[in-house]
Amino acid sequence: MAVSVRSLEKAFASLVGRERVVDDPVKLGGATIDGCVPRFIVRPAAVDELSGIVALACEERLAVIPRGSGSALELGAPPSRLDVVIDLRDLDRVLEYNPDDLTASVEAGVTLGALAKLLSDRRQFAALDPPGGTSRSLGGITATNAVGPLACRYGAMRDRLLGVRFVQADGVVTWGGAKVVKSVTGYDIPKLMVGALGTLGVLAELTLRLHPMPEHEASWLASCDTLDAAGTLVAAILESTLQPNRVEIVSRGALEALRLGAAVAAVAVSIASVEPAVAAQEESLRSLVRANGGTLNPASPGWWDRYGDVVMSSRVTIRIGTLPSEVARTVGAVERLLGPAVAVVGSAATGTLHALLSECQVQAMASAVGELRAMLAPFGGHATITRGPRALREAIDPWGPTDPGALALMRGLKDEFDPHRVLNPGRFVGGL
Amino acid sequence: MPVNSRFVDELRAIVGSDALVLSPEGRLAYECDMHTLYKGQPDVVVLPSRVDEVQRIVRLCRRERVPIVPRGSGTGLAGGAMAPTGGVMVAMNRMNRVLEIDIPNRCAVVEPGLINLWLTREVAARGYFFAPDPSSQMVSSIGGNVSTNAGGPHCLKYGITTNHVLGLTIVGSSGEPLTLGGKVWDRPGYDLTGVAVGSEGTFGLVTSITVRLTHTPEGVKTILALFATIDAASEAVSAIIAAGIVPAALEMLDDVVIRAIEAGVGAGYPGDAGAVLLIELDGPRAEVEMEAERAVALSRARGALSVRVARDEAERALLWKGRKEAAGAIGRIAPSFLLQDAVVPRSKLPQIMREMQAISARHRVLFANVFHAGDGNLHPLICYDDRDPDELHRAKAANEELLRACIDMGGSVTGEHGVGVDKAQHLGLQYADADLNFMYRLRRVIDPEGLMNPGKLLPSHPACGEGFRARRPVLPEGAWV
Ligand SMILES: Cc1cc2nc3c(=O)[nH]c(=O)nc-3n(C[C@H](O)[C@H](O)[C@H](O)COP(=O)(O)OP(=O)(O)OC[C@H]3O[C@@H](n4cnc5c(N)ncnc54)[C@H](O)[C@@H]3O)c2cc1C
Repeated sequence: MAVSVRSLEKAFASLVGRERVVDDPVKLGGATIDGCVPRFIVRPAAVDELSGIVALACEERLAVIPRGSGSALELGAPPSRLDVVIDLRDLDRVLEYNPDDLTASVEAGVTLGALAKLLSDRRQFAALDPPGGTSRSLGGITATNAVGPLACRYGAMRDRLLGVRFVQADGVVTWGGAKVVKSVTGYDIPKLMVGALGTLGVLAELTLRLHPMPEHEASWLASCDTLDAAGTLVAAILESTLQPNRVEIVSRGALEALRLGAAVAAVAVSIASVEPAVAAQEESLRSLVRANGGTLNPASPGWWDRYGDVVMSSRVTIRIGTLPSEVARTVGAVERLLGPAVAVVGSAATGTLHALLSECQVQAMASAVGELRAMLAPFGGHATITRGPRALREAIDPWGPTDPGALALMRGLKDEFDPHRVLNPGRFVGGL
Repeated sequence: MPVNSRFVDELRAIVGSDALVLSPEGRLAYECDMHTLYKGQPDVVVLPSRVDEVQRIVRLCRRERVPIVPRGSGTGLAGGAMAPTGGVMVAMNRMNRVLEIDIPNRCAVVEPGLINLWLTREVAARGYFFAPDPSSQMVSSIGGNVSTNAGGPHCLKYGITTNHVLGLTIVGSSGEPLTLGGKVWDRPGYDLTGVAVGSEGTFGLVTSITVRLTHTPEGVKTILALFATIDAASEAVSAIIAAGIVPAALEMLDDVVIRAIEAGVGAGYPGDAGAVLLIELDGPRAEVEMEAERAVALSRARGALSVRVARDEAERALLWKGRKEAAGAIGRIAPSFLLQDAVVPRSKLPQIMREMQAISARHRVLFANVFHAGDGNLHPLICYDDRDPDELHRAKAANEELLRACIDMGGSVTGEHGVGVDKAQHLGLQYADADLNFMYRLRRVIDPEGLMNPGKLLPSHPACGEGFRARRPVLPEGAWV
């Protein structure tokens, strides 16, 4: 049934209250995504309200973009259409925190910072540190599968999400997983929701496994004269019995952005444990660095925050998946293809790198990304444009190629669960 | 049933006679997994050696609409690798090669029939191991571990199978091999690898697996603490976790199990102990030393009768001996038992143990407990005599009641053994219709014809194939014209 704007506004208002529906053109203009101006911003304060909004949108065949903190709206392809932005920031309650079980259930709009604050009283943490993380919503971190350096030791959101409540494209509220740390009852639905960009359901509630905060942590920066030396050092650290919680490679450009001057590359390492264990491991680390011709210095206070800020402040970000053994070579290829202005940082342990640029020449960048993908393809690597101007993400598929068999299945899932393309239409892999 | 002689001839043409099991006696060995209450003989068992054979088998079955039941080592405890409606069982045991070991990237590519422990043996000398360690790891297959998303004692620290699977190749009902994930992390797109792990053969036949390898820890300490009561031991578990220690393993045995072990092989547990807590810590040596001291102190503070720390590998093996012999020991005191796998939030352990005693008394059945206490995964063995139908009946009722109690405490129906046919009807305890509906539809997208391991994982229901009806939210009325 076709409905006029006036009555749609009334319908949304009847679900969430008039004050939670924005149709003021100025405010709507401020919520523009890739040039698409929404017709409404609706701000639910409860899961039921969210469900009603999505159901109505589906009934009216409206296109919906869920928004958390709004930091990753340039991820993926530009939306094929947009009617409603669902602002999830008011879904911000911590529903359960069970310190003795090391679990917490939160609404999707809760920020990582708010959760961290709550957990720190009990010396626990979510062990997630995506760049810009403290102000990001946990729903957004989940939907975009945002990862940071700690993935080296703790894995990423897929290893953290125990249970998930989401609203399907037709508004049906659905739960998957469990609230306990171990469950194999039925399909592992939480996995399906991580990194799916909300295209199969709008995330409403998350149950996370937590970790005890290590008692003591120390961080170092090992400067190297060549990229190869950094690669060798990384390999040596990862082959050793050290138990680092972060092993990051930092390119020349990144060191410059961090005002750390002259080295060609560096490896940033942190180790966390009880104090004697950190001290003992520092010794081993020191000799590994010495043997590989680097210089080890303690990282300055606040180092990891500044490190994350560098990632967040770029105009273009390319997230690269490479093999740990190919990390140095990949950084070299990125520097060659994107020029001296590029900064590259990322986990040498997991092979997830971020290439960062402060400006963008669309055609040159698009062809460089194409070449980078060609270089990564033989061993299954990939490169995704996670931030950048619309023109870039139109000039080249931001996700890159996907295995046709897997893509067919993904399309099958999207057809089944969102046949009318209500949720984030066009933004995801393969135009889903 | 289309499994006639022509069909068998076609199968034979694919794999050869020596890879077919046709005789009733031969097929008897395949009529159940280790949950022997559920039986269903396949019409034929086929043992492929290569992916292309798997593909041709699947295509043939699809053409003839014959159900396919995948099987690894058949050690499952949920009635998964059995054929309730007959059909072709595809046993993956001959596909058991290690295809690649990639130390620099800390991963390996293996075929599904490979026995779990063999992989660790293969890489141990180089300082690595395959972390998922179901107690059955000497016999169960990695394909089976992946399909059940198996856990094990050391999963408390290292995570369960899914945390160690990077990629899979699956031959689904189309007959085409599908490559999901791989050595490189986080490929863009839906995490189909993540959903396929634990799908119990309903997505198709897993034909190769890329797994993560984990560094052998620098130090290990194993501690055995004896307590007067299971309550006290449960409190110690909570105290250790609350102190920020994540042991590699935290296993508990109750008095019934202790007595059974002492009556059998013997592990040197004193007869008056009400509970044994086995604590294993591993990691950097200095960390292990310090955490071990703390764990010992915490156990003592919670009233441990005695605490022993293994001084060497031989003593460590001794401390684990009782734990490893537990199921066998119970087998000697009770003719049969039902095995539960429910999970409670670990802080609810003392509560659920008390509840269990009440249920045990009410139904006059014996519970024996040997379980992964650290993550709240219960494994009560509910003993009965299979010659006495009333006892089986009471055991089942007690099982059911305990399961409900676990769910009421916010738990899960199954922590690691999986659903199979055994727990399919219990999914409704944990999930609403809308949740189950989602899972049905997921399954239908992946296996539209319902060829793959039918009758497993999800409850059967009247509107077969349609799934439970999800209730849609009520739209606001009268707001528009
Ligand atoms: C003594 C004992 C101790 C145990 N301890 C544990 C434990 O600590 N933790 C735990 O989690 N489990 C445990 N188990 C249960 C069992 O060992 C695990 O579930 C194991 O993962 C099953 O592996 P399998 O090779 O025997 O698989 P099977 O029993 O043959 O099959 C299990 C399921 O997987 C499917 N399947 C098997 N192979 C494939 C394939 N290649 N492709 C697609 N589907 C496939 C089957 O259809 C079936 O549904 C124990 C069992 C025993 C007997």
